[in-house]
Amino acid sequence: MRLIAPAFASALTSGLTSAMALSMALSAPASAADSAFPKPLAEESLPSVAKLPAEWPQSWVTVHDFHFNAIVDGRVAIVDTADPVQPLKGLVRAAQFANLLISKERGELYTAETFYTRLTRGERTDAITIWDTATLQPKGEILLPGGKRQQSVTYPHLFQFTNGGKWALVANFTPAQSVTVVDLAARKVLGEIDLPGCSQIYPTGERGFTSLCADGSLFSVALDANGAAASSKSVPKVQDIDKQPLFSTPAMVGQTAWFVSFHGLIQGFDLSGAVAKPLPGPFSVGTADGGTPEWRPGGWQVINADAAGKLYVLMSPYGKEGSHKDGGSEVWVVDPAKKARTQRIPLKGQTLAIAVTREATPHLVAAQASGVIDIYDAATGAFVRTLGASVAANPILIQVP
Amino acid sequence: MARFDKLTENLARGIARGTSRRSLLAWLGAGMTGAATFPVLPVARAATPSGEGSHGPHATGAARPAIMSGLEQDPGDRSSCDYWRYCAIDGFLCSCCGGSVNTCPPGTEMSPITWIGTCTNPADGRAYVISYNDCCGTSSCGQCLCNRNEGDRPQVRSQSNNDYNWCLGSESSVYNCSVAAVIGVALAEPK
Repeated sequence: MRLIAPAFASALTSGLTSAMALSMALSAPASAADSAFPKPLAEESLPSVAKLPAEWPQSWVTVHDFHFNAIVDGRVAIVDTADPVQPLKGLVRAAQFANLLISKERGELYTAETFYTRLTRGERTDAITIWDTATLQPKGEILLPGGKRQQSVTYPHLFQFTNGGKWALVANFTPAQSVTVVDLAARKVLGEIDLPGCSQIYPTGERGFTSLCADGSLFSVALDANGAAASSKSVPKVQDIDKQPLFSTPAMVGQTAWFVSFHGLIQGFDLSGAVAKPLPGPFSVGTADGGTPEWRPGGWQVINADAAGKLYVLMSPYGKEGSHKDGGSEVWVVDPAKKARTQRIPLKGQTLAIAVTREATPHLVAAQASGVIDIYDAATGAFVRTLGASVAANPILIQVP
Repeated sequence: MARFDKLTENLARGIARGTSRRSLLAWLGAGMTGAATFPVLPVARAATPSGEGSHGPHATGAARPAIMSGLEQDPGDRSSCDYWRYCAIDGFLCSCCGGSVNTCPPGTEMSPITWIGTCTNPADGRAYVISYNDCCGTSSCGQCLCNRNEGDRPQVRSQSNNDYNWCLGSESSVYNCSVAAVIGVALAEPK
C-alpha cells in the first residue's frame, strides 16, 4: 500500500486540470521551505488500527445505544468516563434489539443479536457473537435456534450469566416465553426452559435463575449440569403489579437484587440460594417537596448500586401514572441497611440511565435523553465533567464491567 | 398464526366495545398473550426538558406542517402525538413515514398482531376502539416518535407493556412505524 499510495496521489494531481490546483501544487513546497518548519511531518505508518488495553481501566463503562432511528444497527459504545476529550474508545455491534454481557475474566464481550440475510428481510438468524475486549474483533459465535430471541427495548435481564459465568441465559418471546441455556465455553446451546407467563432473567444460586410472573409471583429454576431444569419453585405474591409494579431492572449487590417500584418502594430479593427469597421490610426512597404532583422514580435504568452496596435511584418531580419512563432530574442515594435516604444529587438534565463506576473514587454516570453523558462524584454528588453527546445517539443502558 | 390473530382481534373488538381499556387489559391478561404494541424509548421525551409535557412530543421537537383529516368529526394533527387516536400508541407515526393513520408505508408489512386501545374522539365524544398495528420489514422510519405510557406496566405483564417489539407475526421483525386505525365504537366509558 505504501508504494501504491504516492503513485495514486500523483495520478490524482495529473488529473486536475485547473490552473489553480497546479499553482497550489507547485508553490506549496517553496513556501514550506521558507517557513519556520524546515522539516516536513514524519510519515505515518499505515494501516493502523487502535487496540484497547487487555484490562479496561475502572473508569470505563459500556453505553448501550439503542439507535432508535436504525434499530437494526444498534451498537454498544466503550466509554472512558474520565476522558472528556476522547470518551468514545470503540464500538461493538448490537443489532436489532440486542443485549450485551461482559466477562472481564475471559476478556470477552457477548452480544445476543438478530439478523436477516437481506438486512431487513430474508432468513432470520439469532446468534451470540463473542468479541475480544482488547481488539473488539469477533472471536466466534453461537447460533440460537428457533428465531425466538426476545426483542425489546434494552433490558439487561434478557441476557445473563449463570454457572459462574460459564453459561449464558437468553430470553425468548414469540410471544410464548422461554429461556435458552447456552454453554459459552463450549459454544453450544444446552437446552430451553419453558417459562409461561414469566419474564426477565435474574441469575439465582450457583446455576439457575428467577423470573417475575404475570400473577405477581416469582419463579425460580435450578439447572442441572446439562442445562436442564433440576428443580423449580414458585413464590406467590412478591409484587402488586397494579398498585406497586417493580421496574424490571434491579440494582445488583452481590447476589441481592434491589428493585424499586413505580412509586419508589424498594424491595430486595436474596438470589444466593436455589429459590429467590423476598427480603422482609420493603422501604420507601423517601419523599420531598416540589413534586407536581409527586416525586417518583423515572427513566429507563432507574436504580443502580455502588461497590459498597448503596443504592442510587433516578427521581422525577413530575411523577404520575405513565411518567415512569420520562426520565429524572435527581438521584436519591439510599442506604438499604439503614433503609434511609442519605443524599440527593441534582442532575444537569433529564436523565434516563444511571450507573456507578468501581473506581477508587466512584463516579455516578448519568446518561441524558439528549445523548449527553455527565459524570458526578458519587460520594459528594458534585458535578465533575460532561462527556457531551459524544458516544451514543440513544444511550439507554450503562454497564459497569 | 393468521387465524389465531384474527380470532384475537375479533375477540378484542367484541370485548373492547363493551368495556373500558383497563378492563380490556385485564381480560387480555387473563386470556391471551398476543395483544400488541411497539417498543418506545423514553427518548421521545427528549424534546420536553421540563418532563411535564402533556403527552409525548415529536422526537425532533421541530415544527412540521399539520396533517389533517379534513373531517370535522376527526379533528387534530395526525403528525402530533397529541392527536386523539394516539392515546396508547408507541412508536413512529406512519402518517409521517409514507403511510397514513390507518395504512402502512409502501414496502412494509402490517403486523397481524395488534395492540388495542380505547380513545375518546373530542369531536363526537365517542370512545373508539383503536388498533395500533406495526409496520414491519423496513428499517426505523425515524419521524414523529410518539410515546405515551399511561397504563404501561413492566414486561412481566407482557400484554400491557410497550417495550416489546410486536413485529412478531410478520415475515420480518424489523420495525418501521405504527398506525392507529379506528376498528369500532366502544360502548362503555372511555378511559
